[in-house]
Amino acid sequence: MKAPRLFQLTALALVLVSAVEVGWWLLDQHRFAVDKVREMHQLYAQQVVAAQALLVAGAGAARVHALLPSVIVTNQHAALSPDVDRQLIAEEQRHIAQYAWEGSFFIIALAACIAVIARALRAEARVIQEQESFLALVSHQFKTPLASLQLSLETMAMRPLSPEHLRALIDRMLADLARMESMVTQILESMRLDRGRIDLRSEPVDLGGAVARVIAGFEERAAKDRIAVSADIERGLQVMADPLALDVILRNLLENALAAVAPVGGGSIAFTGRRTAGGEVELAVRDSGVGFRPGDAARLFQRFTRLHSGGGGSRFGTGLGLYIVRRLMQLSGGRVGAQSDGAGQGATFVLTWPAGESRQASLPGATDVEPLAPGPAPREHS
Amino acid sequence: MTKSSGTILDGDSRPEGRGAGTEPRSVPAEHTRHILVVEDDPHLAAGVVENLRAEGYEVDFVGDGQRALEWLRGKSCGLVLLDVMLPQPELDGFTVCRTLRERGDNTPVLFLTARGDPADRVRGLEAGGDDYLAKPFHLRELLLRVRAILRRWDWYRSASAADGAVLRFGGNEVDFRAFRARSWNGMAQELTEKEAMILKVLAERPGEIVSREDLLERVWGYDVFPSTRTVDNFILRLRKRFERDPANPRHFLTVWGVGYRFMTEGES
Repeated sequence: MKAPRLFQLTALALVLVSAVEVGWWLLDQHRFAVDKVREMHQLYAQQVVAAQALLVAGAGAARVHALLPSVIVTNQHAALSPDVDRQLIAEEQRHIAQYAWEGSFFIIALAACIAVIARALRAEARVIQEQESFLALVSHQFKTPLASLQLSLETMAMRPLSPEHLRALIDRMLADLARMESMVTQILESMRLDRGRIDLRSEPVDLGGAVARVIAGFEERAAKDRIAVSADIERGLQVMADPLALDVILRNLLENALAAVAPVGGGSIAFTGRRTAGGEVELAVRDSGVGFRPGDAARLFQRFTRLHSGGGGSRFGTGLGLYIVRRLMQLSGGRVGAQSDGAGQGATFVLTWPAGESRQASLPGATDVEPLAPGPAPREHS
Repeated sequence: MTKSSGTILDGDSRPEGRGAGTEPRSVPAEHTRHILVVEDDPHLAAGVVENLRAEGYEVDFVGDGQRALEWLRGKSCGLVLLDVMLPQPELDGFTVCRTLRERGDNTPVLFLTARGDPADRVRGLEAGGDDYLAKPFHLRELLLRVRAILRRWDWYRSASAADGAVLRFGGNEVDFRAFRARSWNGMAQELTEKEAMILKVLAERPGEIVSREDLLERVWGYDVFPSTRTVDNFILRLRKRFERDPANPRHFLTVWGVGYRFMTEGES
């Protein structure tokens, strides 16, 4: 068990014991007050008996009252003064009320401590569970390219191969290595995004120019897969964004669209940018690819989600690209959504930036911030 | 259970529960050289396909569970290499295998998966898989296991042909080809592949002692299950199906510390 957790559990145990102690103290004090009042009653009762004895011995009522002021005499009969009785009851109630207030305060304070510690413990357990499940997911993701690498190497070792086949295997292995490198980059990026250790600038960026630059980087690949990529962005349309983050977002979306269109033997990808009536900036990326079932839209943006294989092609997804898009859009104050009419119906991803002024975006409570580093083009399947 | 007065080959002798409403089951047809690879990673699929083809197998491959089920509805093959983590989570490898079994398809399944812990192995075998190989795997081991599974089914198929198709003992009647039986009290029974194979191994050597390890080797392969207790559980199931008094078996006898002896005539 880690030291902080042991400390938390010890503190929790101490607080619990203290709460029980306070409860016990409260009960004990209550009992003490009741006992004290009962003792006082007994003492006053003795005074009444003494007064009655004096009366019988012939002492006058005034004399008796002077000697025993708590006693009143009526018709030669001694009794405790009602004022004294009321005082005793009032004293008892005052003490009980005082203990109740003080006890309740301590109990509430201790309960608050318990709640805070228990919450911290639960949060820590959740973090540990998430880390473990993330590690499990990551290791599973790596096993497939590793298996492919091992298979290629063992094939080379086991079989006589033609130079062409050998070249194909080497290309496959290089692609597997590139895939693993891309996964490492994206995993590190997603972890930084999760921890909030990222500082996004917010400055006016020309959306048309940003889209054009990203498309230009993928021209060769799009042409090879017979995919027509077009952009129709309103002239002068600007978004408040971090230029590097925007580049990562657009690259991921285009990678995703290319991977979705390639398996169906080619098609089109269209970027459409406009300002909405409400002043928001909206960028839609529509593809004619494999699409997805409408119910899967939310799941697309979760880590390690891959809804379809690359068919017989050579595209791979790490399952992190769209997750990174969502996180970067969240940090930029924007949002992203996906829509498809079903498998084979293509898909549309819509980015929305709010109308408004330039502002700094970072996660609440973020410390030790780092600038967003440009990484290799992420790869993802829709 | 449904009682039937006909022979065990009657179509109405299907028990309730498993198999009810499904297509008739039978020994997979002789397509032992034809393998279907279900793998969503194109590189890994290509590597597996190339190597299997180099070994002389006829190979097809698909990238997800839906296509696998569609392919297997229209065609048959001798073995399915099935990745567990497929793109549609609701149709992973386990579900595909379970669906196949439910619709009466006994095509052997070898799971390929990134998850290699014992719990997942057991899950795979419970889903009706024949073997389990964790990624990354050695090529030679993959080929060895493919050969072993196909050999097991070759043996079962040839042993269940003609003379060996039906086994009669103690009033019970077993049809190995249809995976069906009628027990001594007239109850129709539907056997699992493993039950049928265990029965077949025992029936080939009546009166002889067959060790648990031998049964494991012949029916599952060498290292699939964590313990030989699995065999004991299957024997218990066979006793329940075919013994008049399962607590005092006369056909499936335990030889303590060694294995089992099968008596066709029964032994008191």
